[in-house]
Amino acid sequence: MNPDVANAIPKLVESGLLPRREAPRLLRAARGGLVTVHDELRVLLYLGVLLITGGVGLLVEENLDRIGPVAIAIVLGLAAAAVLVWVARVSPPFSWREVPSPNLAFDYMLLLGVLLAAADLAYVEVRFTPLGANWTWHLLIVAVLTGIAAFRFDSRIVFSLALSTFAAWRGVAVSRIGSSLWNGSVDAVRWNAIACGALFAVLGLVLLKTGRKAHFEPVAVHLGWLLIFGGLASGWGEAGSVWIFYTVGLLLCGAGLAAAAYRFRRFPLFAFGVIGGYAALSRLIAEAIDELIFGCLWFFVTAALLIFGLIAAQRRMKEPL
Amino acid sequence: MRADAAQADRNAAVRNAARSWRKAGAIDEATLEAIEKTVPDDRVRVGPVFRVLLFFFTVLAANALFGFLWLLFFENAGSEDVVIGVAAIVFGLALAVLTELQIGRFKRSQGGMEAATSLVALGYLLGGLGWFAIKSFDQSDVKAISLLLVEATLLFAAAAWRWGYPAYAGAAAAALLGAAAHLPFGRVFWIVLPLLAASFLLRLADSERLPPAHRDSCQAILIVSLVGLYVAVHLGSFESGLIEEIGNPARGAGPASTSDLLWWLSAAATGLVPVVLLAVAVRTRRYPFLFVGLGTAAASLITLRFYVHLAPLWILLTVSGIALVSLVFILRRYLGSGPNKERGGFTAEPLFEDLARQRLLEVGATVLSFSPEARTIREEPRFTGGGGEFGGGGSSGEF
Repeated sequence: MNPDVANAIPKLVESGLLPRREAPRLLRAARGGLVTVHDELRVLLYLGVLLITGGVGLLVEENLDRIGPVAIAIVLGLAAAAVLVWVARVSPPFSWREVPSPNLAFDYMLLLGVLLAAADLAYVEVRFTPLGANWTWHLLIVAVLTGIAAFRFDSRIVFSLALSTFAAWRGVAVSRIGSSLWNGSVDAVRWNAIACGALFAVLGLVLLKTGRKAHFEPVAVHLGWLLIFGGLASGWGEAGSVWIFYTVGLLLCGAGLAAAAYRFRRFPLFAFGVIGGYAALSRLIAEAIDELIFGCLWFFVTAALLIFGLIAAQRRMKEPL
Repeated sequence: MRADAAQADRNAAVRNAARSWRKAGAIDEATLEAIEKTVPDDRVRVGPVFRVLLFFFTVLAANALFGFLWLLFFENAGSEDVVIGVAAIVFGLALAVLTELQIGRFKRSQGGMEAATSLVALGYLLGGLGWFAIKSFDQSDVKAISLLLVEATLLFAAAAWRWGYPAYAGAAAAALLGAAAHLPFGRVFWIVLPLLAASFLLRLADSERLPPAHRDSCQAILIVSLVGLYVAVHLGSFESGLIEEIGNPARGAGPASTSDLLWWLSAAATGLVPVVLLAVAVRTRRYPFLFVGLGTAAASLITLRFYVHLAPLWILLTVSGIALVSLVFILRRYLGSGPNKERGGFTAEPLFEDLARQRLLEVGATVLSFSPEARTIREEPRFTGGGGEFGGGGSSGEF
């Protein structure tokens, strides 16, 4: 309920600003007479998918001997097939452009189907080892199939899952960005993260330039830059002078991204760049400062300068391109 | 709240509504521009990304400034330890004045900086007052915590009233409940206060006399109160004596009462409160009841699983998930089949929400919760140099 909006609507109609035919519905919503539960239902769907996949995970883990591997594989496969058949049945025809979801549940049912199918494939691989020595390719196969499903059914949610599965194939746990990002903090994984990030960023750019599923671009580019920054930042703890290499890399990437994002009015990427670059610069300065008081002075002066810079940048970025 | 800030807040509510109508296609761009001219915005605002950046760097700058000043003037001066409490309060007051200036003279709203200075101001004021509270009483004395909680209630309430941040109103309500836990029969207060306040808060949340920020503050207080009520009647909280422990940490965990009757009443209330809240939500179409009702329903189901072993966990999870998805399908169909796709004032269709922001949140949640575990990459051992060793065939590396 919003009394200010409810009071304003009749006045806007009287002054001819608001079309009279639209007023009753808008007024009902403003007075709390009509309430949408669209968001709440989507949250419930998300929780439902989370519970089902959690339950399936436990089923596979705990009941292997009792139910039998073939039965589990068949049940999982049938469940995934049933959900995906429903998705295929209600799905609109394929288009390279954005396609509106046919209904509220579509995205989450597709996600459920993909997750069940992936669980089934993983289970079959572990139990029956059809890929043999090439079992590590399993995650790549899942990533590719998930990606195909994302493109076919136009789902950003499933597209993000495809990208994070691809990263997992390269040993990078996207869901742990900010904590223990890597499965063992080894150089190979760090470079894999940076390479995956670069690949995702380029993929996003290609999607945008070709106009094919261009609305997927923010997912790929944001995830890509997060991986690049996470990969570079994870090198801060390296011994010797190796950390300087990663820190300077982060500083340059942050500055470059902020400059490009400023030029093209990409607000979230600008924030990534500013924070990444500032963190790297502060890391370098902190190494050179012995006294705590100078550290405080550094953070006060630079943060204050950044505030002024951000205010100016914000005004400039509000202007049209 | 200042009169001009309150008026700006009301205008912003209409402008935001008009923008959401535009996004939903209910009006065209020309109409939106015309509406925005009739409700002018005299505030300096920034978008969400810059708001977060400015908030972050303002918090950093303020704390760094305090650290710098402290180290410069007081740390090596052999000052008495009372200075730290006074310094924190003075710094907090200075930031409160700065917040006033930004909201008043500089007409800033949703700008990140004024929210940051207000938050840091409250932090330093509470820190300073807390320091004196602990010094005034024995450090282990619960009276110090009680006093601090009362101070927090007053400070957060004043900040919510003056600057119009609903989060502070919620924090004030939480601090008040914390303070009430220190009273004799604290649990009773946790139950009675929300019940007494609910209808009053609901009326205020709809009051035309209050600006939107204050109406939202009333909703925030209502949500915290309802959560407090649920915690007070919850069986787990009753058995562990959670509220009594908040009131007296030295007491330790243990049942709030040995009465069987109260145990059964608590068990019944754990199941009934979510049902009542959801029923009120359906009847009044109020989001606070809906949110708290759904959250407490989930908590009660988890509690049920803790006390009653119905089935193996994997069955419970899978069946609950299927039930939840089925419930959504049934609700969607039920609401969608009504006249104009609505029933009883509820619709499953989006009204005027920002769907783009929703999708972004969904993508983030998916990446965080459904991403697979990364496979382990083995790295070849690095060449370390340092010469080789002799060995093999039973020989030793050492001559």
